[in-house]
Amino acid sequence: MLFPLFWNCASDDSEAYQNIPIVFKTPSNFPVANYDFANNPLTEKGFELGKKLFYDGRLSSDGLISCGFCHIQEDAFTHHGHSFSHGVGESIGTRNAPPIQNMVFQTAFMWDGATTHLDLQPIIPFTSEIEMNGNFSSAINMMKNDPVYVTLFSQAFPGGEINSENMLKALAQFQIMLVSSNSRFDKYRRNELGGTLTSEELEGYALFNQKCASCHATDIFTDNSFRNNGLPVNPLINDVGYFRVTELEQDKYKFKVPSLRNIEKTAPYMHDGRFYTLEAVLNHYTSGVSNTQNLDPSLNTNGVLGIPLTTTEKTKIISFLKTLTDNDFLTNPRFSEY
Amino acid sequence: MKFQLKNIIAVMAMALLFSSCSKDEDQEITGTGNLKVEYDNVYGDANLVFNTSYTNSNGELVKPNKLKYIVSNIVLTKEDGSTYTVPKSSSYFIVDEATIASTIINIPNVPAANYNKISFGIGVDKAQFDLGATGQGDFLATAQTAGMMWSWSAGYKFVAFEGTFTSSTFPTETMYKVHTGQTGTDYNYTTVTLDFPDLAKVRTTITPQVHIMADVKHLIDGTNKLSLTEQATVMGGAKLALVTANISNMFEVEHVHND
Repeated sequence: MLFPLFWNCASDDSEAYQNIPIVFKTPSNFPVANYDFANNPLTEKGFELGKKLFYDGRLSSDGLISCGFCHIQEDAFTHHGHSFSHGVGESIGTRNAPPIQNMVFQTAFMWDGATTHLDLQPIIPFTSEIEMNGNFSSAINMMKNDPVYVTLFSQAFPGGEINSENMLKALAQFQIMLVSSNSRFDKYRRNELGGTLTSEELEGYALFNQKCASCHATDIFTDNSFRNNGLPVNPLINDVGYFRVTELEQDKYKFKVPSLRNIEKTAPYMHDGRFYTLEAVLNHYTSGVSNTQNLDPSLNTNGVLGIPLTTTEKTKIISFLKTLTDNDFLTNPRFSEY
Repeated sequence: MKFQLKNIIAVMAMALLFSSCSKDEDQEITGTGNLKVEYDNVYGDANLVFNTSYTNSNGELVKPNKLKYIVSNIVLTKEDGSTYTVPKSSSYFIVDEATIASTIINIPNVPAANYNKISFGIGVDKAQFDLGATGQGDFLATAQTAGMMWSWSAGYKFVAFEGTFTSSTFPTETMYKVHTGQTGTDYNYTTVTLDFPDLAKVRTTITPQVHIMADVKHLIDGTNKLSLTEQATVMGGAKLALVTANISNMFEVEHVHND
């Protein structure tokens, strides 16, 4: 009995690198993953370290705002009910916190595509003065003085160095694993047990494919493009969207087409969280589209703006959208803070 | 030049003592040594001193108070045309005029040889940036501490040149900021290649120092002339490309010490 006990103890607390690989499996109904796993091989300890970082408020300048503060698991890692989130010192942002799910299948991040590499994405909220206002040197210093981090870094990375590279790699590993692929819709698509959709949901799916899927494409429900969906520009913010990144006039007021997974749980909607319900979103598409600069051509048919939908059709589409709710993902203890 | 007499005496003494070894130069040079690259920032024909006014060709009086740039991917070329590339993991530096130590970059483990050319980049190259966190080590932390992270896009500022200026339109001191880096569809990384006027003779016992003059005036008053009066903040847009193009002409090797 002594030997196994000793062995267990060594494997849990030792500061040696623990190469327990996580094999990333792309769900069969998903597109290919957009990540070079060879540069950052997924391991159990890398994931565990990433999760600890994700939920650690000490990374922010006031010691309180973690990534998880605005990205809450039960809301598909959004900030439920907040059009805009509040960061350090009660600062308020100007964009709605997007969900964190299926990140590895996306090609650009943030509403305006400010970064195209998943490793680098956390830099933006971490260093933003109105979000976490974090400082890499302070965070690294904090972690070097925390024995739990010292152990985790050594177990997660060969060499175990506590630096910005490994910190971001661990955060990427955690985010890569946040895959939502077990909704009733997924099971329907993969012909799995429990994959039954009602006739209303199926009709909604058919309508969706006809009216929405040109942008909300594939089973990830985004074509990863940037488009202006005709929201009247809020003059108080005048958010130019993708233009901020490309500085091309043709990109003004375009925003990243969001995934619709777990959409039932991620209200409020749009880049500025202006709509509180899915009904309000569909009402925008039928009667609220404004012909602002660079309006997407698909929303302007010979001068008729928007997407024609009857009340019944809207109800069916919303029924379908609710089949994208993935309770496994929303409640998986592997992703949860406690 | 104060060493000259002493050196001449030393060389003569050596020649006398070791005349039998006069074929030393023909022997194979082996081992490794260090090479130092000094980035000596100047403004036109004057040394760069913060809070000092310099006149641009358009009459604007420019008073800089910040100058930082990222130097990366140093490659040294030998007499025979072969090259020594500084390992990527230790080839990213921030030159900061406010910190004298940062203006002299020491490159260790350079193969002993005679070098006649250097090339380096200003900024972080796209190949490295596209790798994400991989290979960055702690450079993100270093860059953030130095204020050289372009954090809204998770990128880097390649050059940060700031201060105040006055002109006939702005008689009181007005702030200007010129930052380069990846913007829009342009990556804006610049590679600079410079010939040495003299050979840099790296030996186990000799650390040559390559003295580079970086004429900051070129950033805004070089081949492309920018009016700060017209636009005092350049961090993107059409003018950024003009600044980036100017970087190509701002460096020159003034001399090489071999002692």
